[in-house]
Amino acid sequence: MFANQENTHARRWLMATAASVALVAGPMTALPAFAQEDGAEQTAPESAEDADTSAPEADAGDEGTADAADTDAGDDDTATGGDDDNAAAPSEDGDDPAAEGEDEASVEGAPVEESASAPFEAGETYEVGSDWPYWGGGSSAQRYTPLDQITPENVGNLERAFVYRTGDMPEGSAEGKYSPEMTPVKYGDDLLMCSAMNILISIDAATGEENWRFDPEVPNEAIPYGASCRGVSLWTDPDKAEGDACATRVIEGTIDARLIAVDAATGEPCEEFGEDGMVDMWEGIGERVPGWYAVTAQPAVVRGVVVTGAQVKDGQAEDAPSGVVRGYDARTGELVWAWDLAAPEEMRDGPPEGEVYTRGTPNMWTAATADEELGYVYLPLGNSAVDYYGSNRSEVENEYATSLVALDATTGEEVWHFQTVRNDVWDYDLGSQATLLDYQGTPAILLPSKQGDIYILDRETGEPLTPVGEITDLPQGEIEPDYVADSQPVSEWHTLRKDPLTERDMWGFTPIDQLWCRIQFRRAEYEGYLTPPSTDPYIQYPGYNGGSDWGSVAIDRDRGLIIANYNDIPNYNYLVPREVADEKGWKSIAQRQDADGGGGGGAEGAGDPQIGAPYAIQVNAGWRSGLTGMPCTNPPYGGIRAIDISTGETVWDQPLGTARRNGPFGIPSMLPIKIGTPNNGGSVVTAGGLTFIGAATDNLFRAIETETGEVLWSDVLPAGGQANPIAYEVDGEQYVLISAGGHHFMETPIGDYIIAYKLPSD
Amino acid sequence: MTTYEDTHGAGRTRSGPGWAVRLLAWVCILFGVVICAGGIWLLLLGGSWYYALSGAGLIATGILLNHGSMKAVAVYLVVWVLTLLWAFWEVGMDGWALVPRLVAPTVILVLVLPCIPALRRTRSRI
Repeated sequence: MFANQENTHARRWLMATAASVALVAGPMTALPAFAQEDGAEQTAPESAEDADTSAPEADAGDEGTADAADTDAGDDDTATGGDDDNAAAPSEDGDDPAAEGEDEASVEGAPVEESASAPFEAGETYEVGSDWPYWGGGSSAQRYTPLDQITPENVGNLERAFVYRTGDMPEGSAEGKYSPEMTPVKYGDDLLMCSAMNILISIDAATGEENWRFDPEVPNEAIPYGASCRGVSLWTDPDKAEGDACATRVIEGTIDARLIAVDAATGEPCEEFGEDGMVDMWEGIGERVPGWYAVTAQPAVVRGVVVTGAQVKDGQAEDAPSGVVRGYDARTGELVWAWDLAAPEEMRDGPPEGEVYTRGTPNMWTAATADEELGYVYLPLGNSAVDYYGSNRSEVENEYATSLVALDATTGEEVWHFQTVRNDVWDYDLGSQATLLDYQGTPAILLPSKQGDIYILDRETGEPLTPVGEITDLPQGEIEPDYVADSQPVSEWHTLRKDPLTERDMWGFTPIDQLWCRIQFRRAEYEGYLTPPSTDPYIQYPGYNGGSDWGSVAIDRDRGLIIANYNDIPNYNYLVPREVADEKGWKSIAQRQDADGGGGGGAEGAGDPQIGAPYAIQVNAGWRSGLTGMPCTNPPYGGIRAIDISTGETVWDQPLGTARRNGPFGIPSMLPIKIGTPNNGGSVVTAGGLTFIGAATDNLFRAIETETGEVLWSDVLPAGGQANPIAYEVDGEQYVLISAGGHHFMETPIGDYIIAYKLPSD
Repeated sequence: MTTYEDTHGAGRTRSGPGWAVRLLAWVCILFGVVICAGGIWLLLLGGSWYYALSGAGLIATGILLNHGSMKAVAVYLVVWVLTLLWAFWEVGMDGWALVPRLVAPTVILVLVLPCIPALRRTRSRI
C-alpha cells in the first residue's frame, strides 16, 4: 500500500547530466510488489552491522501488521527500491556511500527516450536514504527513512554529533514573533536550511560547519503571525553539468513574499532566476501590506515548475490578498501559470493589466506535495480570509475552501478536489502536507485534517479509497443558519478526534479553578463537534491547532503503520459585533499599517477584526483558565498514535510530552510525568524501528519505539522543538537532527539551534 | 512569645482555639464560600451538585473549627470521603483528572487532622 513513489514508480527520465545511465522505471503498478520490496531491502543503505540488526526488525514488523504489511504495504516499498536512487541524484553518486549496489534497483523499467530539457517533462526525483532531499523526506512525503543503524536496542547511546546555531534570533519588533518551524534538507554532504527570517544556510552534515549563507534581509515588519520558514526545496537543472553555477539550486519562499533561488553549492543567487535570483510574489496581489502575504512553507517542485501559495494572515478583512497558487519556471523564475480558484481561466497567465488576483480567496499556507510521476501537485487549501463568518463568501470559495486540490503542475489546470469541511466557519484549514502512498494497489494520497480525520484518496481521481461518512442534523446556530451546513463529511476509516467534551472533562489544579472552568463550560454554547459560532462564548473542539497540523503524519512502510501526532484541545471563542470591535479599536493589518506599522505575533484569532463581516472574533486558543493560565480541560492535550494502514485501526495511542515545563501560573512543574502537551511539528520514522519527534511543549526530543509507542530515549533541547526532525547518513553513520527554534504561540523558548545526533563512533 | 498552647488552643484555657486553628478555619470558610457560591451558580446552569455541597461542608468545617469543636473533624471527614467517592465515580482512575478533585481536599484533611488535640470533644458554645 503505501508505496513511496519517490523511489519506484516515479518514472525516471534520464536527465542529461545525471549518471550516464538513463533509466526509467515503469509505472509502479506494473512492477511486482515483492520484487520491489526485495530490491528495497537490498538497497537500503546499510553497513554490515545494520544488516544484522535489520533482520530481527523485519520479523517484528510482521508480527504487528501481519499480512497486510506483506501484501499491501510491502509494495510500497517498492518504493524503496528507489532508495537506490540516491545514486540517481545528480552529483551525489560519488559522495554517497550507500550508492553502491543501489543502482541495480533502478535498472528496472525500460529506458525511455531522453527528454532532457524539454520544459516541464517528468524528471527524476531525489531518493531518501543517505539524503533527506525533501522537506517530507522522500518525494512521497512519508517522513520515512530506510536507515536502520539506530535501533531500539542502541538508541540509548545516542549522543549529540554537533550543535549549530544560525544566529538568527529575534531583535526589536520581532521579539515574541518567532516560530521558525524549520526542517532542513540533506543533500550530498550538506544540510540546506533557512532561518526564521529566511537566511539561507548550508552546513556540513557531519560536522555542522557552515559552508555558506545568503541573507535576503527580510525586514521585521514582514513577520505575519510568526516568523516561520519551514524549509527549502531543491531542483537540479537537467541541462547543467555538475559544477555549473546553479546546477542544483535551493529555493525558498520568504515572509516578504519573494521566491529566491541560490546555488546549492555556493549560496550565490541564480542570476537566471527572476531578477538576481529573486521573484517578487507581490506582483498581481495588490497593495503591499507587509505581513499580510507571506510564504512560510517550502515550495513544491514538479517537472521543473516551482509551485507555491502563501499565508494570508487570517481574520484581517474579507478584502485580503488572494489565495492564488502560482507555478514558476524553476530555471527562469517566470510565471508558468496561476491558479486563481475564482477565475482560473482569466488569471492563468497572471491578472490582466490593472487587475489583481481575486481577493480574499482560500489560500494555501502549508506545504503542497509534488507528484513527479503524474505531473500533479496536491494543494491543501485553507479557508477564505475571514474564517469565522461565511455569508459573504462566493460560491466558488465555498466550493474549494478547505479542500485538497490536485492541479496539473505543468498547466495549472485543476484535475480534482476533495473537500473536508463545507462552509468552514471554524478555521479548519488543511494544515498537513498530504502523503503519497500505494493503498491496496492504487496510487493514493493520504490526507490528515485539523479535525483529525484521515482520508485516503485515489491520487489520479480524488475518489476516496476509504469510507467517507456524513454526519447530519448539525446545529446551524443563530448567526448565519442559512450558511452553516447541516451535514458534514467525516472519515469513517480513522479519526484522531476524541468524543465531545462534557462538564466532567473540565480541569484545573484545585476545585476552585476546576469549578470556574465547569461554569464556563455550562455557560458556553456547545452542541458537540462543529458547534457554529455565536456571540455568546462557544466551544470549538478540536481547536484550530488540530488534529493534525503542519507537522503532518509519517508512514512506517516496514511495519504498515501511520504515525500521527495530534493536538487534543478545544478553543473557547466568541464573535464580537462590529460596533463592539470598533470600540475596542480592533483593526486589520492594513489599517494598523497606516497607524503604527503593522503587527504580528500573538495567538491567531485573538481579537481578529474580520473587516467586512458583521462580526470580529475572539479566540481563546487552547481554552485556558483566566485564573491560572492552565487549560480548562483534562490532559492529555496532545498525543501520538500508530494506525494500522491495512485496517485503519489504532495500534497504540500515547500522550505526547511531559509536564516538566508546564504548571499553574506559568511555573514549570519539573514533573517528568507524561501528560500529553499541545504539540506542533511532525515525526520521522526510521526503518530501524524508531519514531523521532520533538513537537511537544516540554522541549524534549525523543525516540519512540514504533511498534509499541514506548519512549526509549530523550534529550532536553535548549529551546522548543516545534519542527519536523530528519534522518540522514554520512560516511556510513546515521544521524537524526532537529532544529530547536522554539515557538511564540506554543510558548516554548526561542532558539537558533540545529542539533544532530548519532551513535558514538567506534 | 507564642506557646504551643497559644497556637493550638490548650483545652485548659477555654478561651477558644489558637491562631493556627483559626487561620485554618477562615481558610475553610473562605474557600467554602467561593466553592459553595460557584457551585450554586453551576447548579443553576445545570451542572454538578458536588461543589455546592462540598462548599457548604467546608463552611461548616470552618465554623466548627472556629469554635474549637471536634465536630469539625467529623464533618470534614465526611466531606473528604464523599469527595473521594465522587471523584472516582466521575473520572475513575484517570490520574490527571483526579488531581483537581483530590489534591486540595486532601491537603485540607492533612491540616485538619493535627487540630484534634486542640479541639474539644463536647461543644460548649455551639
